[in-house]
Amino acid sequence: MNIIFIAINLAFALIIAPLIDGFERKIRARLQNRQGPSILQTWWDLIKLFKRPTIEPQDSVKPLYKLAPYITFTSVLAAYLIIPTLLPASTNFIGDLILVVYLLGLATLSFVIGAFSSGNAYAQIGSNRDVSLFMSEELLLAFIIGTIAVIGKSLSFGQLFPLPFRISSVLALLLLFLVIYVASTRLPFDIAEAEPEIIEGPLIEYSGKHLGLLKYFVFLKRLLLYSLILDFIIPIQNPIRLICYLIGIIILSIVYSTLEAYYGRFRIDQAIRILKRASIVALIVWMIAVVGW
Amino acid sequence: MEAQILLLPIGILIIAALIGLSKAKVVLKIVNMLSAVSSGVIIYDGVLGLKTTIELKYNLFNSSSFFAFLNYLVFRVDALSAFFLLILGILSLCASVYGIKYMERYFEREDMRVYTFNYPLFILTMYLVVICWNLLWFIIFWELMTLFSQFLVAFEQRKEKAVKAAFKYFCMTKAGAEFIVLALILIILKATNFNANYSEIANVLPAYLSVHSTTLYTLTFALLIGLGVKAAMVPFHSWLPDAHPEAPSNVSALLSGIMIKLPIYMMFRFFLGFFPLKPEIGIVIAIFGILTLFFSMMYALLQEDSKRLLAFSSIDNIGYILLPMGAGIYFLANGSQLFGGIALAAALFHTMNHAFFKGLLFLTAGSVMYETGTRDLNYLGSLAKKMPLTAFTALIGSLAIAGIPPLNGFVSKWMIYISTLSSPATSLFGIIAIFISAVTLGTFVKYFTAIFTKPPVKEIDAKEVPLLMSASQLLLALFCIVFGIYPFLPLKMISQALGSIGVQIHLDSLVVYPSLVVPKTGNYSPIIIFAFLLVSTLIVLLLIPSRGEVVPTWKTGRSEDLNMSMPADAYYRDFREVFREVYTVGDASKRFVQKIAEMAGMFGIKFEVLSYDLNSMLSIAMILIVILVAVLGGVEL
Repeated sequence: MNIIFIAINLAFALIIAPLIDGFERKIRARLQNRQGPSILQTWWDLIKLFKRPTIEPQDSVKPLYKLAPYITFTSVLAAYLIIPTLLPASTNFIGDLILVVYLLGLATLSFVIGAFSSGNAYAQIGSNRDVSLFMSEELLLAFIIGTIAVIGKSLSFGQLFPLPFRISSVLALLLLFLVIYVASTRLPFDIAEAEPEIIEGPLIEYSGKHLGLLKYFVFLKRLLLYSLILDFIIPIQNPIRLICYLIGIIILSIVYSTLEAYYGRFRIDQAIRILKRASIVALIVWMIAVVGW
Repeated sequence: MEAQILLLPIGILIIAALIGLSKAKVVLKIVNMLSAVSSGVIIYDGVLGLKTTIELKYNLFNSSSFFAFLNYLVFRVDALSAFFLLILGILSLCASVYGIKYMERYFEREDMRVYTFNYPLFILTMYLVVICWNLLWFIIFWELMTLFSQFLVAFEQRKEKAVKAAFKYFCMTKAGAEFIVLALILIILKATNFNANYSEIANVLPAYLSVHSTTLYTLTFALLIGLGVKAAMVPFHSWLPDAHPEAPSNVSALLSGIMIKLPIYMMFRFFLGFFPLKPEIGIVIAIFGILTLFFSMMYALLQEDSKRLLAFSSIDNIGYILLPMGAGIYFLANGSQLFGGIALAAALFHTMNHAFFKGLLFLTAGSVMYETGTRDLNYLGSLAKKMPLTAFTALIGSLAIAGIPPLNGFVSKWMIYISTLSSPATSLFGIIAIFISAVTLGTFVKYFTAIFTKPPVKEIDAKEVPLLMSASQLLLALFCIVFGIYPFLPLKMISQALGSIGVQIHLDSLVVYPSLVVPKTGNYSPIIIFAFLLVSTLIVLLLIPSRGEVVPTWKTGRSEDLNMSMPADAYYRDFREVFREVYTVGDASKRFVQKIAEMAGMFGIKFEVLSYDLNSMLSIAMILIVILVAVLGGVEL
């Protein structure tokens, strides 16, 4: 039964993730007084990319360059087995919290290795920024995980969903909100891709199916992180969980895309500095959690 | 009769060292091959030692004097020794086979006898340190190990840097060894009634020390410093980043892979076998572990020399071993058997893993040096196409050290996080360990891409290394993969090893999956995740095939080359800029230590000048002896 539910969750994620991006594009367009494309537009874009032929740059290290998009894509897909989305079903064991972090790390790693092996100088600059950002993100994320483990006295999502209502858990979720914003490569923090500046950085040489997979990966990752923060809030056995979840996704994407529409891009050192300051706040939150508030 | 096989490696290695005194060219091959053969025997000894305890006892001389406790030379291999013997054997086998071809590059430049004589003796002394069962013999072998390894560090004698590094290494570890000697004397004089046999000590010492707590803390202090210097624990690490890169690469692999693990072996013997478990000792060790892993990895991020980067990362991994060891002692002392067992198992697992992937990475750095003659990451680049096998093994090593599933580094790091994050007292350690793991990933992305994928400054001429060299690399890479996917085998050995020093881990309370070891409480098997990862990757590969046509790399539309490439010193510049406080603290402490060293030097000179005068020399010697006596006898005051 559980396996069927998880399969439904996966199918839901695969179908809905690009739609959410379409929705967010619409919101941003409206905020900027534009008509905006249809919600389905992201899906059409993806389908078009999958139909296009792929090319391989001459200077690339071919096996790495070609394999990287696939591993990036599937590692974020695997994280969906652990984090419940539409239906409250997942595989839980002690330490799955950390495994999710590592699966997302694996995705970033293979993304970066693929870009580095494309042989393009812009891809290098972009992936270099990506790794810098990843390291500082991880500092904040490590603190949040530590805090959550202290609050919930467990390392398994099975016992952590939902978090008990305390000062420390609210603060931890606020920090998680920030780290998710950074991790989902949105405007003030899309420094690694930075289209007008380094021409999509790591993605510069990718085309066709590879590019489609990598774009798809970004949408899936966003939905995964949305679900993560919602699972911490919504009681898992609640009969109206489904409705709460869907409303939550919509609220989150409205909030995130509104923020995105109003910001210009940060410089990389500004972004890292923000994350560092947030980590110091997270240290205080961790102390609050240890005290037991 | 079976026990006699313990002597076989000693014989072979001594013969190899004697042959190594000759200047003939063929000697290099013979010595390396003999070392490889003896490594095979060492592995066999290790396997044997895991099954039963092997013991050999020799009555060397019959004296009733002060040296009475040197009368008996006892070799004994219990499960803990056997575990380290296996690591030593596998690593020295790979390093020796690798050395057959690799060392040829030095023929014209250096006197090969420095290598051919010292290399077998270095392996021999490490072997003896692990198998000896007497504290006094231990310290003798320990000092000999330092001696022979420092000759190997100074192998390129014409390089001033190498000689200086060897000198620094020797002085620091020698000074550290004095602390161990002090601790041993204290143990032998006060607690065990002139008995240095490990079994006797293990019987007597815990009871004695749980009453005399001052002695316990004195001993802990002395041993932490003494063993910590050799293990390159921060703040006593500064010899390692100089010494390890200067040695030939296969020796660096041994130095980093196994020699700095022998202090860890002794710490297990002392802190778990001989000492009563105290939570505060555990916390102190864990704090040293955290300092070690944090500062060394932040510095590793800066390095532009491939082997120096690896050396800093070796220090980092010592931190990853000390942290769970300390946490494990803390948990056991507080009665948490499950997490204590997991943490200690993680420490031993990481010891083994680090030996394999760091050995592998040093060998790949050596292969790159063999072909290109440089360690400069700024200059290197784009070697993946020219050296595909080396690139592949370096990638495996880099992924394993960054703890990427499903490789072996992930298993041990995972166990570290599970155990440390489970208790509020140690959860801050776990948090920093997770962050540093991400920095490790960044560092090794830099290591791999700077050598193998980034466009080079100018075209580098290289080809794949000879088969004997890549075979060693492949073997170590294989271990990284196999022990990641099937961690049950090493875990079984580890539980035996811990059992031999009195720590029981119940393997049936743990569930072992590919890459994961979890306490048995979850309903679902993590194996699903990995199976899914594999299967879905294959499905996506099948559904969306990735053949494409090859076109020139895009150069923003210009016809000539872009003429831009990122040197290694530009990696993560902004990250380093923002986190510069870490480096400020690190550099300040470095200056502080240098000041102390200068002052000590001044006192030394003063002492030298004074000692020309016989009277003052005698009086100073008297004062020193009084201090020594006070230290030895007065600790209970």
